[in-house]
Amino acid sequence: MLPQRAKKAITDNPKKLADLIDLANLPSKLREFVGQSQISRLGCFMRVWSYIKTNNLQDANNKNVVNCDEKLRSILLGKHQIELAELPKLIKLHFPKQQK
Amino acid sequence: MGKIPPSFRSATLPLTSLKTQTPPPSQFYQFNKPTTKKGGPKQIQPQKPKPPIFTSPSLSHAKRVFDSYLSNSSPLPLDLRHHNALLQSFSHLSTLQDSFAFLHYMSRKNPTVSPDRSTYHILLIQSCSISPSHLQIVNQTIQVMIDNGCPPDHVTLDLAVRSLCSVGRQDDALQLLRELSVKYSPPDSFTFNFIVKHLCKTRALSTVYSFIEEMGELLGLKPDLVTYTILIDNVCNTKNLREATRLLGVLRLSGMKPDAFIYNAIMKGYCVVSNGSEVLGVYKAMKEEGVEPDLVTYNTLIYGLSKVGRVEEARKFLGVMAEMGHFPDTVTYTSLMNGMCRKGEALGALALLGEMEERGCSPNSCTYNTLLHGLCKGKLLEKGLELYELMKSNGMKLESASYATFVRALCREERIAEAYEVFDYAVTSKSLTDVAAYSTLEGTLKWFAKVKEKLHA
Repeated sequence: MLPQRAKKAITDNPKKLADLIDLANLPSKLREFVGQSQISRLGCFMRVWSYIKTNNLQDANNKNVVNCDEKLRSILLGKHQIELAELPKLIKLHFPKQQK
Repeated sequence: MGKIPPSFRSATLPLTSLKTQTPPPSQFYQFNKPTTKKGGPKQIQPQKPKPPIFTSPSLSHAKRVFDSYLSNSSPLPLDLRHHNALLQSFSHLSTLQDSFAFLHYMSRKNPTVSPDRSTYHILLIQSCSISPSHLQIVNQTIQVMIDNGCPPDHVTLDLAVRSLCSVGRQDDALQLLRELSVKYSPPDSFTFNFIVKHLCKTRALSTVYSFIEEMGELLGLKPDLVTYTILIDNVCNTKNLREATRLLGVLRLSGMKPDAFIYNAIMKGYCVVSNGSEVLGVYKAMKEEGVEPDLVTYNTLIYGLSKVGRVEEARKFLGVMAEMGHFPDTVTYTSLMNGMCRKGEALGALALLGEMEERGCSPNSCTYNTLLHGLCKGKLLEKGLELYELMKSNGMKLESASYATFVRALCREERIAEAYEVFDYAVTSKSLTDVAAYSTLEGTLKWFAKVKEKLHA
């Protein structure tokens, strides 16, 4: 029963869902990268991940590591190399929690 | 492993097949319906192989089309069936008023054909489905029928009720039912059962009971075996087995014998609450009462036993059912594999896949998802990857549970890139919504980071 419930917790929780798919105003650096002024966190992740794929930025020896090019560096804290595993976390930094 | 691989629950293997089989008479009725009511339009379609006769909702256009049919109808004159077919196609596009006008026009131009009850039924269906909705419009149409010498009968009632329910107007349907059945014709058992089924889906159980009672008092309609099957199936789905047992008692009191469908529904109920011995108990009761178990019974039985971990017993029934002339199908094997995977015998389940294919039974995506889930749980990631490639080449969809387990297994082995690849496949194959796929991936990566931290600390 557990996995089902866990899955439900995410997609049924309106707050978390909104956090993922609501459009947010972007800081200038990110705006340059995605080419639009608003995007959701999910959309942003998809954009970055497909950018990595199309530009072959994954390390040839270790696919789990991404060698950032200049454009990617500008939005990922200026790191030269990131782990693929930390990508969602890094992108989340651009989407601070909204205070109401 | 007490969890149900939900690849199972979302597909609800024996359950779906059970559901489709439970109310056989209503299916029969649906099959029967066109011949009694809309026989004309149905039969005429093969003769005219250009389906969209009407392309615009404009009345004048429709009149022109009719005129052209009238002028060049070569060997056969236009008869009632043509009229009905034309009217029906037109009613899909037009307003009710225009449909009436069109009917009027047709009868005036071609006075040899006069509309009958089936013609008015077309208009009635249309008036039931227009929005914004008023029952008044339906009543007006019925009044027109009466004026033209076709008082509504049970078919009229059935059609009206079904169309009203299909657009979610149960209250209107009930009101119409009360009015018509007192004045003209009472509903037959098919209409009655249809409404019971519909109410079960949309209303509280007490409403359904009071409806049945009301119909009994008003028209002397008694619930039959199908009605009880619907009710029992419904309460079993809500895990209310005490009520199911009570209904079974009421059914016996009113002099009926439960059939295989009812027993299947009850057995399914015990599967839902994971009560293995009761599942077996239902099977024994069937045997005692001389009710012949069918394929669904065996599938439910095997599913139930597998679910509670009594795989060995479940396996025995594979032989029993074959002896009885029911050949295990995909559902049977998948249930059994699910049970084995849950016991941690993923390799055994994989062997069963070979066995099933040998017997000419082809696995479906649910089978593969179950296996993938089991292999990943059983730390047989390499086998899982092989299976995944196979699924991918067949374009099979991933189910959320097997996807989650697979991604987690990959992350555990620090094969993040492959996990991302699986994520891509889940999104591109439209197995899951982007949100569901991403939140699983994100959650897993978060968990992975935590585990790693602990290891280093």
